[in-house]
Amino acid sequence: MLSLNGVTHVYPNGTRALNDINLEIPKGMFGLLGPNGAGKSTLMRSIATLQTPTSGSMTFDGIDIESEPEKIRARLGYLPQDFGVYPRVTAYDLLDHMAVLKGIATKAERKDTVETLLAQVNLWDARKKAIAGFSGGMRQRFGIAQALIGNPDLIITDEPTAGLDPEERNRFLNLLAEIGESVVVILSTHIVEDVADLCPRMAVIVSGQVQLEGSPSDLISDTHGTIWEKTIARAEMSAYAERFHIISSRLQAGRSVIHVLSEADPGEKFESVDGGLEDVYFTTLARSRADSDRPVVQG
Amino acid sequence: MFGSIFRFELGYQLRNPVFIVTALIFFLLTFGAVTLEDIQIGSGGNIHVNSPYAIAQTVLIMSLFYMFATTAFVANVVVRDDESGFGPMVRSTRVSKFNYLLGRFSGAFFAALLGFAAIPLAMLIGSFMPWLDQETLGTTVLAHYLHAFLVFAVPNVLITSAIFFAVACVARSMMLSYVGVVVFLVLYFLLTGLAGSQPEYRDTIALFEPFGLGAFAETTRYWSAEESNNLVSNVEGTLLYNRLLVIGLSLVALLVAFWRYSFSEKGLSPRQLRKESVKKQREMSVSPSVVTALPSPSQSAAAWPRLIARTRLETGLIFRSPAFFVLILLGLTNSGGALWFANELYGTPSVPMTFALVLPLLGSFGIIPIIIAIYFAGELVWRDRERGMNEIIDSTALPNWAYFVPKVVAVSLVLIATLCIAVLAAMLVQMARGYFTLELDKYFFWFVLPFSIDMLMMAILAVFLQSLSPSKYVGWGLMAIYLVASITLVSIGFEHPLYNFGETGFVRVSDMNGAELGGSKSWWLRLYWTGVCLIISVLSYLFWRRGVGISISSQMRRVPARFKGKPALVALLGLMISAVSGAWLFHQMNVINEYVTSDELEEKLADYEKAFLQYEGIKQPSVVDVDLKVDLYPEVGMAFFEGVYRLTNDTGEPVTELHVVFQDAYSDLLDIDIPRSTLSLDESEDYGYQIFTLDQPMLPEEEMTVSFRSERIHKALTTSGADSRLVSNGTFLNNSEFSPQFGFDRSVLLQDRTTRRKYDLPAELRMPKLEDEAARDRNYVGNVDWVMSDITVTTSAGQIPIAPGRITADRMEEGRRVVRFESSNPILGVFSIQSADYAITARQHDGISLEIYHHPEHGFNAERMLDAMAISLDYFQASFGPYQFDYARIIEFPGYASFAQAFAGTVPYSERIGFIANAADDNDIDYVTYVTAHEYGHQYWAHQLISAYMQGGTVLVETMAQYSALMVMKQMYGEEQIRRFLKYELDAYLSARGGEVIEELPLNRVENQGYIHYRKGAVVMYLLQDRLGEERVNLMLAELLARYRFKSQPFATSTDLVNGFKQLARDDAERRLVSDLLEEITLYDFSASDATARALPDGGFETTFTVAVNKHYADGKGVERDAEFDNWVDVGAFTKRPDYDALEPENVLSMTLKSIKSGRQTVSIMTDERPIYVGVDPYSKFIDRKGDDNIIEVAEN
Repeated sequence: MLSLNGVTHVYPNGTRALNDINLEIPKGMFGLLGPNGAGKSTLMRSIATLQTPTSGSMTFDGIDIESEPEKIRARLGYLPQDFGVYPRVTAYDLLDHMAVLKGIATKAERKDTVETLLAQVNLWDARKKAIAGFSGGMRQRFGIAQALIGNPDLIITDEPTAGLDPEERNRFLNLLAEIGESVVVILSTHIVEDVADLCPRMAVIVSGQVQLEGSPSDLISDTHGTIWEKTIARAEMSAYAERFHIISSRLQAGRSVIHVLSEADPGEKFESVDGGLEDVYFTTLARSRADSDRPVVQG
Repeated sequence: MFGSIFRFELGYQLRNPVFIVTALIFFLLTFGAVTLEDIQIGSGGNIHVNSPYAIAQTVLIMSLFYMFATTAFVANVVVRDDESGFGPMVRSTRVSKFNYLLGRFSGAFFAALLGFAAIPLAMLIGSFMPWLDQETLGTTVLAHYLHAFLVFAVPNVLITSAIFFAVACVARSMMLSYVGVVVFLVLYFLLTGLAGSQPEYRDTIALFEPFGLGAFAETTRYWSAEESNNLVSNVEGTLLYNRLLVIGLSLVALLVAFWRYSFSEKGLSPRQLRKESVKKQREMSVSPSVVTALPSPSQSAAAWPRLIARTRLETGLIFRSPAFFVLILLGLTNSGGALWFANELYGTPSVPMTFALVLPLLGSFGIIPIIIAIYFAGELVWRDRERGMNEIIDSTALPNWAYFVPKVVAVSLVLIATLCIAVLAAMLVQMARGYFTLELDKYFFWFVLPFSIDMLMMAILAVFLQSLSPSKYVGWGLMAIYLVASITLVSIGFEHPLYNFGETGFVRVSDMNGAELGGSKSWWLRLYWTGVCLIISVLSYLFWRRGVGISISSQMRRVPARFKGKPALVALLGLMISAVSGAWLFHQMNVINEYVTSDELEEKLADYEKAFLQYEGIKQPSVVDVDLKVDLYPEVGMAFFEGVYRLTNDTGEPVTELHVVFQDAYSDLLDIDIPRSTLSLDESEDYGYQIFTLDQPMLPEEEMTVSFRSERIHKALTTSGADSRLVSNGTFLNNSEFSPQFGFDRSVLLQDRTTRRKYDLPAELRMPKLEDEAARDRNYVGNVDWVMSDITVTTSAGQIPIAPGRITADRMEEGRRVVRFESSNPILGVFSIQSADYAITARQHDGISLEIYHHPEHGFNAERMLDAMAISLDYFQASFGPYQFDYARIIEFPGYASFAQAFAGTVPYSERIGFIANAADDNDIDYVTYVTAHEYGHQYWAHQLISAYMQGGTVLVETMAQYSALMVMKQMYGEEQIRRFLKYELDAYLSARGGEVIEELPLNRVENQGYIHYRKGAVVMYLLQDRLGEERVNLMLAELLARYRFKSQPFATSTDLVNGFKQLARDDAERRLVSDLLEEITLYDFSASDATARALPDGGFETTFTVAVNKHYADGKGVERDAEFDNWVDVGAFTKRPDYDALEPENVLSMTLKSIKSGRQTVSIMTDERPIYVGVDPYSKFIDRKGDDNIIEVAEN
């Protein structure tokens, strides 16, 4: 459905935000995973017609995004990473206003749209409140509601779960999954679980480049036999870091559980474990950092 | 702790853009006032731009406006933490309330004060600008700036800071703080305005007025230019108390702030809680209408809903923004006063007719829509980005046009609403004044419609510049540059309206003649600029940056694609409109008419003076007979003139050349026939000057007949103003505008001293000296003499033509009104030709036909005018001699000028004065009668006796007309009431002295200086008739008139009048008085003190009090020297205070003349009743700068 060919973007200050991105994104949920500053938002904005890449082409359902942005916008639902609202305007009124902008022409249709969406994102009771006074989570839910107006068949969400509490996050992901069966939904995030739970396909993007692409299960099975785990004292961390390729560490009961990447058994009582998506992600990060010849930083 | 809070706050405020923007705005405002000739605060005349007086005045006035800035600083202190949500964190620290509040207040106050320093700084820097006329500058004294800053700025900024800090502490809202500012301003203007109109409150205002404007005015009221240029007002007396009071009040305000400010936030009251829960219940009870499948968009059907929704949102956001609210209130505050006092004359209000309010409304409110257009253009363009809504909005299917169009529609709606609010304010003023004829159509067509279109064009330009700018501030800056540039361009000679964006000219409205003047030109120009605005709109649309991080250069790549289709069509339409209307206008203005800039015009006048002034002394024969045929076609702007002059050589010597002068921008001399002569110099094209050399010299007493033809045709629209004299309804031409004159005349030459110097001319041309007997050959009116006239005027059937002379024929001929006017005795050779659709109110009075020709709706003062004419002519005939006509006419003309002018028996009288005076209140000065009496006084003083063109000449014309009018007023209103006029005239004289540009002269040498011959003249003449006897004075004047009645050269001089008065003087004291009043600039200072009354055994009372007197002679620059006073002065005893209350005769217990000498003396008065007040010169008949201390209350004992 959505295909990106050689998408490259260089900012006026020389920063190469996107470097030859090639992706084919089919219908369904697509997870775009990457650390902060990897170029995810630049890519999202480019697809959402807000930025014109320096080179490369993007097409959706056969429409060239750069030359016919109007056609894309008519089918697009976009939730930016960060957004503000007009002062002194209520949730209901602003959603109604957004519905007009998106082309819901009649009053009755707008009423259905607005009320259904407010109920779906659980903002019905707060509909008469000024959004400027909303909490971060409520505001995010409003953002989701507006992105769903008018049955878009390309939905781009940039860090949608940031600021949501677990319950809200579940509700949101369920909503997306429901819609995501028939349309393209791009979920850009740095939270691995979002992708792991939902997305049949995903890509990892680091430093403006696609490092990895595939279905999470394939990617996980690719790591089989290369992830090794050991529980160590926190004080030993730096010593291990010097000798092993640590891809992640987490604390458990006051001690550190570390994962290292190794084709063969690294010894020292490391145990082979079945990696999760998180390991895939951190492995990719670690590799790309090694490629770019930078010191390994703890994930 | 206090120190660090203070430092933090100061640093914060100084880094805040508000500080820089404020300082910049006030710097520019002041800099403009100092360096532009059009704007002047405190200076002007002989008062230097950088005089201590001008510095103080500027600082004072600016401190009033600075209130809006001060509030931004101090209210921010309070509101900031609440808005940023940082408040609870700060307040939960250990900082004490005292340190917190006062430390921050001090920081903000200091920041405000630093910002204010931009004002004196701008004056200082401005005074060094090279283009300033060096004569308007004094030496730079830094101490003067420091004095003004410390004495006026510091307390003024302190009190506004303190008051609005207190308001903000209570209100906890920026918006409400600004409401507080506006309420404060309204109250301030209301109270000072009301109190200012009553002189008895002057002292109170001076003391309590919080900005020190009153106290400063009190100290400097009658300062001469000399004093204004050198003195700073001493901080003592009223000024000291006022400043101390202000500081005290500031402390009180700070205490209030401290007391009312609470660290904790207010919760909701139980009632509010209940209301909230009811609301909540209601909201909960409604359930959403949920559908399983969301409706799909329809891009084509959404066009209208989008336009409406976007417009509504944009409009709503403007209407609900605090800035809009503040701007409207600011505008209303300013225009309220302007409207209330509009067209006030002599302190008497006018009937607030719509046509007379449009101009004051525009003047006082006009800046607000300009600011709204510029300010909100920036807000609208940048709001989505500033609010962070842009990514969401930009990624919707909203078409590109739906960004630009709704913003333009929204700004239009806001502008129209703004102007409607102004109209509403004007109508409220009308109704408050008791005027209920609400003329919505006039407001709409003269104000709302044209002005909102003009402002919309400004908004479109602002949106365009914003769409190209990298930030809102750059966009605003570009608009500011545009505004300054457009003013500068015009002032340096680029005046053509076709390249000054949005220029639509100046429309002058009149009830008589509608918006004819400038009206059609303004609509043509609006059409032309509409085309340009369409193009600009398309450009804005093309360059509208949708998305994130798009530079102008990258936007350029999108332009071609966006331009295709409708935008190209709209641009083409705009181009066609502009091209066609522009070409037409260019043809009108530059091809049919000539485009002449005002600089070129000035240069031409300068060249004219250099080339032709040499001919001034050449003697010319006088016209003694005039036959005129004037054919007016007012509706089509055409007039044709034919004339025959009979000339007599009355110069006493042979005349070899005739100098023909015909200088009018709108009329053409088609031909002139001077028998047996050759045209030896023809500069008619450039200067309207021709010299005919006579084949045979014209011998003394020889006669000659000269005939001419001329026309006045409105050819097309011009770049400069339209002809205001020949108009559809209300034509008023005088003969110099269509008929040739003989001999060089100064009246057209450049007057302004700075302009004259610019063209290497002497700064001024002075009049011939009083001693110059040769100058008595010419009279004050110019190169005219006594003539017999026969004027036939034809005009369209619906109009009545008027010219001086007895009507000897009045008929319809070929569908046109034809009226013949013949003089029955010699008249001065100046004629007015008028024509309009008049209503006539008339009355016969002792064989004289009194007639008022007025606009049908302007008749409400007609009877009062008739009364004034009747009583004036009665008095004048009894006192001065016969009135020379059997008619007396007042004829209204459109208010393109505000004067009344006396022609022979015929007085053109402006629509803007007299006719719209509201004479209902008996306590106001009845200036309708006053002006009418003055003009009919001229039927003697000008139209029977005319004075020579020399020093003192205007005394015999203007001062005597003032005297005549005063005597009429005295007869109507009694001696006790007359002092109101005198006080007004005295005040006007004393206040104007300081503004004298060349030198103040005594009355007998006055050089056409209005404040001397009108104002001082009235006061002086009243005192003279008071002391010498009205009847004796009138007898002397009647003799003077008899001597000069209808006489040609040598013309009368002020010496004739002075000698007349000297002959009336019976003793040395009277002779000295005559000389002091007429031949010197004399200032008196009387004062009374220590009055006690003693009951006498016979039941009467003896009141004794101390009288002190000083007398000074002043020179032309205002430098004074003491002189001995020894004369008779009124001393009186009263039961009401004569300078405040309206006196009835029974309030005057005693009024006698006493001999008073320089220094102090005790005076006693015997009365039957116990007096409450006594005084010396209690009616202020002398020229006394401090009349209030002439009266003293009698102490109880």
